[in-house]
Amino acid sequence: MRRVAFLVVLVMSFIIGSLAFAQETIKIGVVGPRTGPAAATGKAFEEGIAIALDHINAKGGVLGKKLEVVFEDTGGVPEKAASAFEKLATRDRVPIVVGESHSSSALAEIEVANRYKVPFIICEAWHDDITKKNYRWVFRAGPVNSGVVDFYIAPFVKENGFKKVAIVRENSDWGVGIAERTEFNMKNFGLPFVTLKVERESKDFYTELTKLKGENPDIILAYIYGTGLHFFVAQAHEVGVTPKALILDGAGPPSLWDSFWKNVGKAGELELFMSSMHEKVHLTPTSRKFWEDYKKKFGKDPSDYKTRSIYNVVLIAADAINRARSTTNEALVEALEKTNLEVTTGIVKFGLKVGSYEYHQWMPPMLVVQWQDQKQVVVFPKEAATGGLKRGK
Amino acid sequence: MVFSSWRPIKQAMERAGFMKFWIFIPLIFLTLFFPFFLSQYWLHVMIISLFYVMMASSWNLIAGYTGQISFAHAAFAGVGAYVSGMLAVNMGIPAWLGILIGTSIAGLLGLGLGYLCIRMGGIYLSLTTLGFSEILRIIITNEDRWTRGTMGLQIPGFFIEYSKMSYYFLFLIVSVFFLWVIYRLIHSEMGLSFRAVLNDELAASSSGIDTIRVRILAFTISSAMAGMAGGLYGHYLMLITPDIPSLGQMFLVLAMAVIGGMGSFIGPILGAFILEILSEYIRIYGEYHVLLFGLVALGMARFAPEGIMGLLEKRWRLRKIS
Amino acid sequence: MAEFLMYLTNGLVMGVINAISAIGVSLVVGIMRVINFAHGELYIFAGYFSYHLSLTFGLSPILAMPLSVIFVFLMGILMERFLIRPTYGDEMYSLIITFVLSIILQNIALLIFGPYPNKPPTLISGATSLFGLFHYGNQRLLSFIISIAILLSVFYLIKRTWFGKSVRAISQDREMASLMGIDHLKINMLSFGLGAALAGAAGVIIAPIFPVTPTGSSAISLTAFVVVVLGGMGSLKGCVVGGLILGILENLGAAYISTMYRHIFGFIILILVLVFRPWGLFGQRT
Repeated sequence: MRRVAFLVVLVMSFIIGSLAFAQETIKIGVVGPRTGPAAATGKAFEEGIAIALDHINAKGGVLGKKLEVVFEDTGGVPEKAASAFEKLATRDRVPIVVGESHSSSALAEIEVANRYKVPFIICEAWHDDITKKNYRWVFRAGPVNSGVVDFYIAPFVKENGFKKVAIVRENSDWGVGIAERTEFNMKNFGLPFVTLKVERESKDFYTELTKLKGENPDIILAYIYGTGLHFFVAQAHEVGVTPKALILDGAGPPSLWDSFWKNVGKAGELELFMSSMHEKVHLTPTSRKFWEDYKKKFGKDPSDYKTRSIYNVVLIAADAINRARSTTNEALVEALEKTNLEVTTGIVKFGLKVGSYEYHQWMPPMLVVQWQDQKQVVVFPKEAATGGLKRGK
Repeated sequence: MVFSSWRPIKQAMERAGFMKFWIFIPLIFLTLFFPFFLSQYWLHVMIISLFYVMMASSWNLIAGYTGQISFAHAAFAGVGAYVSGMLAVNMGIPAWLGILIGTSIAGLLGLGLGYLCIRMGGIYLSLTTLGFSEILRIIITNEDRWTRGTMGLQIPGFFIEYSKMSYYFLFLIVSVFFLWVIYRLIHSEMGLSFRAVLNDELAASSSGIDTIRVRILAFTISSAMAGMAGGLYGHYLMLITPDIPSLGQMFLVLAMAVIGGMGSFIGPILGAFILEILSEYIRIYGEYHVLLFGLVALGMARFAPEGIMGLLEKRWRLRKIS
Repeated sequence: MAEFLMYLTNGLVMGVINAISAIGVSLVVGIMRVINFAHGELYIFAGYFSYHLSLTFGLSPILAMPLSVIFVFLMGILMERFLIRPTYGDEMYSLIITFVLSIILQNIALLIFGPYPNKPPTLISGATSLFGLFHYGNQRLLSFIISIAILLSVFYLIKRTWFGKSVRAISQDREMASLMGIDHLKINMLSFGLGAALAGAAGVIIAPIFPVTPTGSSAISLTAFVVVVLGGMGSLKGCVVGGLILGILENLGAAYISTMYRHIFGFIILILVLVFRPWGLFGQRT
């Protein structure tokens, strides 16, 4: 008899657990790597989210209710990412999900978003296909591989007169995508280049660097995301490829993590990296407000630009819910398509051209930054530059 | 066919004594009606649990009943998932056919692997299956042009229209089928020879049982089952990654069998559900469930090798005596 | 030609280290019929200890390295005493226990040390010119010398000392040996500890060259197991020869065929051995 009672209690708790409670808050979902090799990005997301929630709730929240965030961990791998998104859609039943910093994870998540018809705004996964697939529920307010290469990396290489390009790319969706676009551009310029593949999560690049040395490049475009980049930069110095050649970190954040200088030592001098944030470059008042409030809250300058990326998309989501005056998915998509919102990197307007990666895409301006004496100096584009490019010998 | 086994099951349960037959009626009722009152989220958890029921039970067939500790079980699931998935993506082969092909290939590989190292004894089987598992994972990870490696491969679902309820019943039917096969096997003449081999190999072989053949057969069937489970899993998630044929998954399957009770019929079923549901709760706090399960499994293997089923059985027996 | 010699040298250096690692496994298999699946984890724990002793606590590497090995030795002793000994005789359970232990240790390493590769400081830096043909890292050369020294010590231990003789006696006939007065339980424990210590030694030697990560342990365990099977279970000579063969084959294979498949060569060797000569090069034909 006791056993039956126990079973009944068990079943009842299942049923109760699956019912939704009435909320006095509105929760949106965030996906990102809280554990794993890119956990530093997860940390950056947490900081950005905190500031976004402060700003939004100070202005009255969303639809008169307080805004909260459920941040699910993707571990940086697609199977966990898909599972995280599914949890947000089915367990937490959030009206909208934002975030992500890995292209492979994002490509898995957009399928789940499509299946459950949950709007999804991506901030830092760059692969073209994410928006090229033209899924109605998927938006991106962040860089896209083709944009980053066509408007920043390729012109940077051309305008600074580099003669021989080396592309080193990891075998991830992002790495393969951005490398292909770079090759396309280099071919158009008629610049000689050589491409080398490395394993994702690799730590030993001696074989590849030895091959590179023989090719004599003067600029190395390193499409490696994670601490692997640190080892690449350090080992390039050991092997003697740098400082004669310059290395450009095609992603950016690894060059900004705390562990960067610990792992690369003096090899970090003159390293270039992509970024969308610099203390002297404030494109909008929101950007300045973000910088100041970050300093007040965390006691230091923001260093990882992904804190701003996630801040932006949380703002966009809240804005869409407010304008739609609803949390239903159709209403949100319609509202998102009409977005005209000032964020830290400009004014967000999503593209509507079907058939290309520009559909539901908005790309913020980016910067090429160089470490000079352990300080960040913007060297491209010229309009935003805070200093000149330094070469090695 | 199922009903001819009904009575023996009932008799076996009553003989075992620790679970009254009429407890099972509400349980079966619940299981059939889960999709109608569980949320999508919990239905998903049930489906994943059923996957692990398939994996843990089929692993238990060789580990619990014939004493061979294979570490290739997750790898065979990976074979099923990737064969079926790649056939679907590259050649448009429907999922049900792909899964059958994947199952057969997994079975064949199991036959080959078993034939190679069962003669040599337990340690060799464990080492070889460990090596096989890692090598398969490395190949899948590196041949990313075909498999997309760690980036993950999107594959079509089993059903044209996505419905969690359909997947639930699919997994339920296949699980029950597996359990039925396993039940018939261990209660058949062959099954008796399994246990004879497990208990005393020397005696078994001197009484004429071809112990090698018996073990190879069990290994083959078990690998084929893992292949089928993997294929179903892949087409449910619609995303396959080298995480499926990983030692991490292998560990989960092993832990479920060990904690539930190796060598018992219900043990792996219990272990699968308990561990999968628990891990959902623990994940709220972080990825600690693997460590926790490891510690529990270690404790079980050390102090209570018969698992939860063993503990329950002992308590019931003690109660009957007093 | 210079390249080939460099890869060969790499193979020899790695081979000797493989041998040390494998002896750790072989010793335990030989006398206890237990495969220690947590072998790779002991290796990386030693690497982590070495890293933290040097960098977090500021000890000199010359002190940090042996200290790490001692810590791992103690870990091995504890493992044997509380986990392995009670299952003695039941092959199946010792397999399960060491496998589960390896997963537990991997996760603990992830929890305590984090997912990033840790690299203890090198003892020497720079490179020497070998044969006037190519530059080879000094740390690697030093590792080679240290490894050879360890190997010779182990051989001396096994062949000449009382401990070694007891080990050999037990591996041949346990009952007889204990009738002759050998405390076989204590020898079991010490051997397991020694096996762990050897894993740890290999770890501290390699970590300054190839940083340790929580997930790298499986590859290390696998390499050790392949060497043991190739050389023959229980044969120390086999470990050395097997280790060298595997080291050279892996490095040449990685250099000339494919870097990504470096571990496959080991597995192919495993399969070939099992098919054609399951008792390995120097093992006993049972």
